[in-house]
Order: sequence, then C-alpha cells, then structure tokens
Amino acid sequence: MDAVYTENLSKTYRSQLGQRQPISLDDLSLSVAENEVFGFLGRNGAGKTTTIKLLCGLIRPTRGTARIFGEDSRRKESRRLIGFLPENPYFYEYLTPKETLDFYGKLHGLSATDRASEWKKLSEMLDLGPIADQRVRSFSKGMRQRLGFAVALVGDPKLLILDEPMSGLDPLGRRAIRELILKMRDQQKTIFFSSHVLSDVQQVCDRVGILVKGKLTRQGRLNELLTERVQVVEVVAANLAQAAISDIARMATANRVSETGHHFIVADLAVANELVKMIHARGAELVDFIAVRESLEDYFMRVQDDCV
Amino acid sequence: MRIIAVAQNTFREAVRDKVFYVLVFFGLATLVGSKALGWISIGQEIKIVKDFSLASVSVFGVLIAIFVGTSLIYKEIDKRTIYTIICRPMARYEFVLGKYLGMALLLGVTTAVLGIVAAAYVAILGGNVDATFFYALVLIYWELLMVTAFATLFSSLTSPILGAIIVFSIYVVGHATGILINLPEHFDNTASKTVLEFMYYIVPNFSNFNVRAEAANDVPVALGYVVWSMVYGAVYTGMLLLLAAVAFENKDV
Repeated sequence: MDAVYTENLSKTYRSQLGQRQPISLDDLSLSVAENEVFGFLGRNGAGKTTTIKLLCGLIRPTRGTARIFGEDSRRKESRRLIGFLPENPYFYEYLTPKETLDFYGKLHGLSATDRASEWKKLSEMLDLGPIADQRVRSFSKGMRQRLGFAVALVGDPKLLILDEPMSGLDPLGRRAIRELILKMRDQQKTIFFSSHVLSDVQQVCDRVGILVKGKLTRQGRLNELLTERVQVVEVVAANLAQAAISDIARMATANRVSETGHHFIVADLAVANELVKMIHARGAELVDFIAVRESLEDYFMRVQDDCV
Repeated sequence: MRIIAVAQNTFREAVRDKVFYVLVFFGLATLVGSKALGWISIGQEIKIVKDFSLASVSVFGVLIAIFVGTSLIYKEIDKRTIYTIICRPMARYEFVLGKYLGMALLLGVTTAVLGIVAAAYVAILGGNVDATFFYALVLIYWELLMVTAFATLFSSLTSPILGAIIVFSIYVVGHATGILINLPEHFDNTASKTVLEFMYYIVPNFSNFNVRAEAANDVPVALGYVVWSMVYGAVYTGMLLLLAAVAFENKDV
C-alpha cells in the first residue's frame, strides 16, 4: 500500500468575499511508496505547501482525493499515521519543550507513562535535555526546528511530512536535519518533504516530484531523471612548459591559472582523456580530473525553463 | 482526553499572560473602590457596595470573555500554532470545545476569585451575604459562558476586532430585549412589529441572568428562576457551540 496517494487533487482558495483565486494545485496525481524518501520541489507559490496542507487535513480539496496509507486524508484516522513539521514551526511560546511534547502526546491519545517515555526517547534523540525547562519564546531557529522534529515524531508516526525542514538553518543545522531524515529512513519511516535546498534533496531523496504553477510536471527516481551524460570535464595540471600549455589550450573550450595549476575545461570525456595523455607525455603532473554531471539543481532549472 | 488537553492549555496560556492579571487587578480595585460610592449615598452604603461589586465582577468577566474569547481560534490560525494541532488524530469540534472549556475554566476561576473577595468585602462592611448574592454570582458566570460561546463562534469566522464589536453589540442588545416586545401601539399590525418580535425570540435575553438589583436590595430570588435561567443559557450556549463547530469543520487553516 502506498504511504501517500493522490488522485486529481486540486485546490482553489477563495477570498474573504468568496471569490475564487487562481488555482493553487491542479490535478495532482502521485504516489509515494512505503519507506521511500520523496522530495517535493517547486518555486515559491508552486503549490507545495498547499499539497502538504491537503495531506495533513488542514485544508479541504476543491476536487480529487488524497489518501494516507489508504485512509482518506480528511478523516482523523489518517492523521494518526502522520508526523508533520510545518515550515517555520510555531509552538506555544509560554510552554517549555517538555510541556510541549506532553501536550502533543495528550492530543495523540498517549497515556502518562507513554508520554514520559516519548519525552525520554525524543529529548535524547534531539538533544532537548539541556533546554527542557526553557520557554519556547527564547529559542533560536535551530532549537525550534529540533523541537518541531520532536513534535512531529510524537506517537511514532509511519509517515513524516516535512515542509521546508532546512529553511533558515545554518550548515550545521541543515546537516543535523539531513542526518535525522536518513536516520528516520533507516527506521522504516516514509518521508515526504519539500525543500529549496536542492543539494540536500539530492543527497537524501529516493524520488522527487517537481511542481510548476500547481501542476506536477516531473516525477521519478533521481537516477532516471538526471542524465548520466558528463556535461563538462575540468582537468588540472601542474609543471607544464609554456609550449605545452599552448598546445593543450587549443583542445580546451576554456582555461585559467590558479595556485594549484592550469585548469582546462573540455566538452567530453574522450577529449579529456586525450588531454591527460598529452599532460603525461609532456612530463607534467595531473593534479585533478573532475567530470561534471547534471545536478538536481541543473535539472530543476531545466524543468522550469521548459515550462516557461 | 484531547478536549481536556486543549482546555488545560488554553487556561494555562491565559494565566501565563500578564494581561489577565491586569484585568483581575482592575476588577479587584474597582470592587474595593466601590466603597467610595457608598460614602456619597447616605445610608445605602452596603447596597451600593453590593451592587457595584457584582457589576464589576460582571463587567470584567465580560471584558475577558469578549477580548480573549474572540481571539481564541483566530489567534491559533494567525500564529499558525493550529498547524501542528489539527494534523493530530482529533476531530475539529474537539479543538473548538477544548478552547471553549479552557475559557470557561478561566472565567470560572476569575468569577470565583472576584466573587469571594466581593462577598468577604460586603461581610467585612457588615452587609448580609445571602443566597441571592450567591445566585447573582452564578448567573453572572452563566451569562459569561454564553458571551464566550458567541465569542468562540465569531472567533472561528472573523477577526478579533470585528468579532469583539459584534459580540459587544449582541451583549448590549441582549440586555435590552424588552424594547423589542413592548412596542408602542402604532406598531400594531406592521411588518416592523413582526420582525422585531421575531428578533426578540432570536436575540439572547441576557436580562434573564441579571438579579444584581435583587441581591443588592436583599430581595429573595426563587431557586426555580435561577435553574430556569441556567437551562435557557445552557441550551443557547449549546446551539452556539454547535454552530462554531460547524463553522470550523470545513475551514481552511
């Protein structure tokens, strides 16, 4: 059974006066298998948060259905299986992390004993112990995000829905969240998350879907979407004689000098191999060889351009 | 369990808010200050203190009910704290009911504190604190529960400012429903009379909860009247909460 399944899911918001706004999500049909990490990508306003809100039952679809492990997302039973971390999570400022987790434990229907053990487990996992009795209002962005993750994990949900979990975090914070996502995957959880940090998405996701103006334009495994073809190769050589530099530069599309040596950019691997042979033949030293393949960011930009 | 958790949290939020203490402080100060009015009303000091102290319990209770109540649900949506709550395995009506009950608890504690101080103050001044005084306090609380139900309903529909204006208007009209039914003769057989009479049965009759004059003048009030008023308030409040739950059920947050 799919962890997330949507069919023709659409949403059009209404203004305060009841007028229809432009369509926010248009006929979204996708599925996310159990124990999969799915990256949901799109520019601001593409419909990512609208989709997430529909999956979590925060808003009602105008058309179509969304199912969580087979349960209609409008039914409260579906939400027993979901742990949700909103973008910039907001919690009651007057509560401490311990009180916050206890409150959400009660909402999840956990007994006092279960709530105590949830606190023990999650405070250790997310290092909340040192800030257990501080009010949330004094928390930094990183601390709030850790608490948000802990709240999402209350009740041991099978599906984690994370909306921009890395937004606004410093490199250490981003790495911590990335590691948490991988840890959750190892614990057999399904993770559906949206992000603008495409390098992070590429590192942790099995599959991605790209939304453009409310429409799902691409979805698939990263190795299927990203072309394996090498885009350019950068060859770096040191101790090159001036005559050799001129000869090699003729084969390259661009070149430059740095402290490391001479950098030559060539269009494909065959030319790069010829260039390496020439470097060795001239008695110089090969310092680096970088084959640049398409990144998720390149692919994302290509999709955006295609859709314009 | 979930309703109680939301109610406890709502209560906790209010008691950790300084504004609540400022309102209670002013309530207590007004109550104690009522003696000043007693001095200028020769021979009727106790009566004035009783009347004024009960009025201050009511006024400060209504202020809390309207200003805290109309932001109850709206604030959760505006501050986005609702995101992590509604996505839990709970029905939306449980949230609405929990928020309402939290406010009911808060108003109960406020009314009890102000009421006990008022009763003690009257007793210290040599006045008689009888059953009618107690009935007056209970009915004030019952009225506050009804005002809070209106505030909860409008909190799930509109902004706190507009909600407060509407609820305050209902509160004022609800204290003057008599003018809707006791119309002058020239209204006979007119459409206006039909409309106004219809409104009389729709608009809440808050006068039912006002026995402050009887309490101040030591006029006994029948227990049956108190029970009847409470049943009226409970039915009306129940209907308002049902409407609030329905309004919130399909709301996009």
